[in-house]
Amino acid sequence: MPNILELDSIHTFIGQFHILEGVSLSVTEGSITAILGRNGAGKTTTLKSIIGLRPPREGKVSFGGTDIRGRRPYDIAALGIGYVPENRAIFRALTVEENLKIAERKKGDLAKRGEMIFGLFPDLKKFTKLSAGQLSGGQQQMLAIARALVPDNRLLLIDEPSEGLAPILIEQLMESIRSLSAHTTILLVEQNFRMASQLADDYYLIDDGKSVQHGAMKDLVNDRATIQRYLGAS
Amino acid sequence: MNLLNRYRNLILTTIIILLLAVLMFNGKSPQTTSSILLSGVTLAALYFLIASGVSLIFGLMDVLNFAHGSLFMFGAYAGWTFYTNPRLLFNTAPFLLAMMAGFSLSPVIARWVALPRGARWLSILLGIVIALFALRDFPIDKLVAMGMTMTGKVIATAEAQEPLATMLMRLVGMFMAGVVASAAMATRSAERLESPLRRTLGIVVGLSIAALALLFVRDVGEQTILGLDSNWRFLFALVAGAATGGALGALIEWGLIRPLYSRPIYQILLTLGLTFVFDQVVRFVWGPAGVFMEIPKWFSAQSPDCPSDNLLVWFSQHCDSIMIMGRAFPSYRLFIILVGVIMVLAIALLLTRTRFGMIIRAGVQDSEMVEALGINVRRVFTLVFAIGAALAGLGGVVAAPFLGVYPGMAMEFLLQAFIVVVIGGLGSIPGAVVGALLVGLARAYGDNIVLSGIQLPWRQDAITGSPAIARASTVLIMAIVLFLRPTGIFGKKE
Repeated sequence: MPNILELDSIHTFIGQFHILEGVSLSVTEGSITAILGRNGAGKTTTLKSIIGLRPPREGKVSFGGTDIRGRRPYDIAALGIGYVPENRAIFRALTVEENLKIAERKKGDLAKRGEMIFGLFPDLKKFTKLSAGQLSGGQQQMLAIARALVPDNRLLLIDEPSEGLAPILIEQLMESIRSLSAHTTILLVEQNFRMASQLADDYYLIDDGKSVQHGAMKDLVNDRATIQRYLGAS
Repeated sequence: MNLLNRYRNLILTTIIILLLAVLMFNGKSPQTTSSILLSGVTLAALYFLIASGVSLIFGLMDVLNFAHGSLFMFGAYAGWTFYTNPRLLFNTAPFLLAMMAGFSLSPVIARWVALPRGARWLSILLGIVIALFALRDFPIDKLVAMGMTMTGKVIATAEAQEPLATMLMRLVGMFMAGVVASAAMATRSAERLESPLRRTLGIVVGLSIAALALLFVRDVGEQTILGLDSNWRFLFALVAGAATGGALGALIEWGLIRPLYSRPIYQILLTLGLTFVFDQVVRFVWGPAGVFMEIPKWFSAQSPDCPSDNLLVWFSQHCDSIMIMGRAFPSYRLFIILVGVIMVLAIALLLTRTRFGMIIRAGVQDSEMVEALGINVRRVFTLVFAIGAALAGLGGVVAAPFLGVYPGMAMEFLLQAFIVVVIGGLGSIPGAVVGALLVGLARAYGDNIVLSGIQLPWRQDAITGSPAIARASTVLIMAIVLFLRPTGIFGKKE
């Protein structure tokens, strides 16, 4: 399977702070790839560098063969990338339905994919007319992911979806993500190692803004030393 | 009991307001009260037209647009010029269009010229110098004098215009000025270079043709416009004011605000600077004294039946005032209120029923996320800025027959509009409505106190106020609201 996303030694700054110092990664199409690392390692910045919200100063970012570094986020997203940020960023003043409709890139996106989306997240169907700010934390997370599914995105960037969720919701979330991967490629940032290890095919380890290790997830789960060293927990 | 608890704040506020209302209007006749209320709503409509733009622009783009008052004023001048002196428009608009046409060549220039950062300002400076040179000795005072001495009435055609040949040379000069200034864009991002050549040339040619067309039809155009019935001319003047505001708004956003997204302090300073520029331009062209605009015939007929309190008679005879509880209230002010109501409804529909409105509402919450969804927020920003500016321009023309047209109106109304926005909450249109009503009513009431004072039930004579207190009343309300609710009544901007 070809690589749908390739990062080649990108350097990203926030102001003067050198956050990413030469991060490289490749994502195989159709897979679930996890970005792992401690708090502050640069995982979120990596995702933001891809979607263009924090454009890298150096390095190469290519999606489906197209060079996307330096482009505006709306150009990059329009190529088929869905972004689910850490804080969910759902529009609280809009209804659930409007949150989904605004994500449409072509007219009729929601009509076409609504069934699939509501099949994955039946709760949302119940609350379509409710203002999104009134949803619970778990439901807001579902909405944030559902929103990324409205257009036919080839790649989903999901940032710490399990954060703040109760364990049973995390189980549901994992189920949903597993079903998703049948339709699209997923690049997942997750601090919850148990969740990441059960979902992802491949992993990239980021420490202090540098990519230190990568490989197949099944090889990492048994490597207690690495897990302890870079993730600080087992 | 539970209900009482939940709505405790609302109930308390309502009780306080009712108490205040009783105190304030004690001793005033129902005629006076209704007159105050109606005048207040009239002012509110005007404040809303300005405040709605400021609020949306800040909510969406985090830009505090100080220039909004100037857009209001410029719209008024543009509308007035269209109404009484279209010759001025036909002889000056081509210059602007020609300069814009030259400026639109920037993608083409960018292919050949790549200026270092510092040199950008040089090219703009050079462009301005060329423009001034192209416009030297332009008889602007002669073009304007006709309109002013006639104190707002229709003017007769006279030979204040320059011959076509001279004008054409000036147009070429303005075009060159635009081209030179466009080199300032040559250091921009890659997207500029990718602009399709055909589209660029299309814009350049389109603008040039527009400039030439306006020039060549200037005599015919002027005659046609002046020949129109005053009511139609007024309608077109409204459009002209709104269009001028919108065009200026789009230009300001694209040319001055966009380059400074990353430096918000400069953005604010720039809009503040624009107010000075506009003020001087207006004083230079139309004179420092301001002009007077007549009330169109629709609202100013003088028939023996007027003023009447029969709605049908009032409407069919186009009376200049209507009897409300035995006192005459000017019809034109009702028109202002009508425009305000229409605009509130229009904005509400836009925001709730259209996709564009949905994007604006989402953008006010989180414009970054909107962009990450694949939506071109830069275009949305420009459009919203233009719409807000168009509303202000419209407001200016609408206000003109009521308050006149003068350079000071920019700052006066801007100040009140800011108070409205702060009270109502930045980024909220319902807030702008409520705020406008509060401020408008406060001003109307304040003006009345200056004349007749407040009659408290336990005092013999009324407490009168000075005009300063009337003006300060709105600031006082703002202070109270901020004390109780720092983000404004409907404010939600974190």
